[in-house]
Amino acid sequence: MNNPSIMPTMPGSEQDLLLNLKKKYLPNLRNSLILILLLIVAIIELLPLLWLFSTSLRLPAQSYDLPPDFLPTSFRWQNYQAVFASSEINFPLFFFNSLKIAIIVTTGQLLTCSLAAFAFARLRFKGRDALFLFALATMMIPGQATIIPYFILMTKLKLIDSHWALILPALTSAFGIFLLRQHFLSLPEELIDAAKIDGAGFFQIYWEIFLPLIGPGLSTLGVFTFIGSWNNFYSANIFLRSWDKFTLPIAMVQLRGYMGSGSIAEQLAAICLSILPLAILFIFGQKFVIESYTRTGIKG
Amino acid sequence: MKEPQLSRRSGLSNRLIERLAAYVMVFPAMLLLGVFVGIPIIASLVLVFMRYDALTPPVWIGNDNFVRLIKDPRLLTMYSNTVKLTIGAVIGNNVLGLLIALGLRRITHRFWKSFLRTSIFFPVLTTTSTLAVVWWFLLSDNRGILNWFLSKIGLVPVHWLTSSNTVIYSLILYDIWKTCGLVAIIYLAGLQGISKEYYEAAEIDGAKSSQLFRYITLPLLTPSIFFNITLGIIGGFQIFDAPFVLTGGGPGDASGTIAFYVWQIAFSRFEFGYGSAVAVVLMIILIVITLLQFRISQKWVFYE
Repeated sequence: MNNPSIMPTMPGSEQDLLLNLKKKYLPNLRNSLILILLLIVAIIELLPLLWLFSTSLRLPAQSYDLPPDFLPTSFRWQNYQAVFASSEINFPLFFFNSLKIAIIVTTGQLLTCSLAAFAFARLRFKGRDALFLFALATMMIPGQATIIPYFILMTKLKLIDSHWALILPALTSAFGIFLLRQHFLSLPEELIDAAKIDGAGFFQIYWEIFLPLIGPGLSTLGVFTFIGSWNNFYSANIFLRSWDKFTLPIAMVQLRGYMGSGSIAEQLAAICLSILPLAILFIFGQKFVIESYTRTGIKG
Repeated sequence: MKEPQLSRRSGLSNRLIERLAAYVMVFPAMLLLGVFVGIPIIASLVLVFMRYDALTPPVWIGNDNFVRLIKDPRLLTMYSNTVKLTIGAVIGNNVLGLLIALGLRRITHRFWKSFLRTSIFFPVLTTTSTLAVVWWFLLSDNRGILNWFLSKIGLVPVHWLTSSNTVIYSLILYDIWKTCGLVAIIYLAGLQGISKEYYEAAEIDGAKSSQLFRYITLPLLTPSIFFNITLGIIGGFQIFDAPFVLTGGGPGDASGTIAFYVWQIAFSRFEFGYGSAVAVVLMIILIVITLLQFRISQKWVFYE
């Protein structure tokens, strides 16, 4: 009965018993409360997306049902088939356009930014600081301040309604140069001297020795650039005019008018499909995507 | 006699090779930045003195665009909307984001921690235009889900997107829904960077948890706070997608932002000169705000 581990101090005193219980259960209670509050936030963040997914699987007639069902009430995968089958929407083409642009832009940035970043971080050349300062200065300029002359330039080059109008300016970024330069600078300085003594050329040093060592930096920039390109609405909306050139963000907005009389469920299915690549990227590399976003923030 | 000369020459040419290699390496990036940022920004600074619609040749009109800009009542509305939107979003995102991060730090259960982080962060990866249909339905007046809930709990339905008094708050709420997860994980990373030794030492001295927050957590979190606020303001001043897609800037001009207005002037009315003037003023304001923030940050941001 007199187990000291249950009643360590002054057995019989009710106040101390209460204090002990408090000490034991209060942190748990508080943590449970925090968990519940966070769960409410998480549910609010997820509800619109849950409704989107569930409604994309319903009969189109039930799309606007109230009270709303946030969980799937039926699984009409035909809605998804219809997205692909429709000759008018041409979803696969939008998907391909988005993917093509995102891949070219991401590859381009990884190359141009890492090359420039390597030179800025590890090579000696005249005008290095001035050029780097110029790159940094371009980061301060908002897109609105350059879009008009850029639009005029594209008009002159007859590149309106061409994917090149979206690709060309996105092939490099000052942010990417800055980010990767930090990563190169964090590598030991003797590395390049050792490689030089071995007689390696500078491009060889960059490609074979330095690039493999900044994997985290490259993947951060890659994730960022891919998602940014995939979600780019602003310039797609300005430059793309014809239906067959559309990328997903602009097509999803236009679909509403196009399918005014059509099936909302099919449109929601198309929206789900256009989020799918990001969802897959996120599910499989969740920790990694989140780390990419934080890494750019804190250590930059 | 010959050897030192040789090595000196090869040393010189090594320098030259290094320099050449460097120029080749920075060339693609610098060319692209020059053509797509450098030249356009100079062109913008010239365009502000012109009237130009891309069809007829440009006309030099001096500072007429700036005279017009100062008298433009719509511009004032757009700035007032943008400032409201930015302040609301920055405060909302940072308060909620910090609370989420502080809460997440206490969750030790692995499944819940990962589930919460994933669900709260996922909206960051979505884009406004793609999800527009969903938000129209959520926020619609008569058949919207949100208003249905409000009426169920006995409240009056809100004209989320159709009343000029509420529309800006709806956009603030939308921005918080979309962005608070990003702000939260940046705070979480900041919190995880704080060494546990500080807390242990303070606890030995008998500090209360409110004191721990006030004297350890908050000061050591100031770099993250500074980062989130700076990015929030820069991003807030350039909000375009939400007003463009969800409200069209309306009703009236109640939800128009400056970025939206620049688009309207340039790409719906094709007044490239005036559009450039508005954009360049926005750029100057943004640069001044950013520099001021860095200046002020020296007074309150604490670096270990």
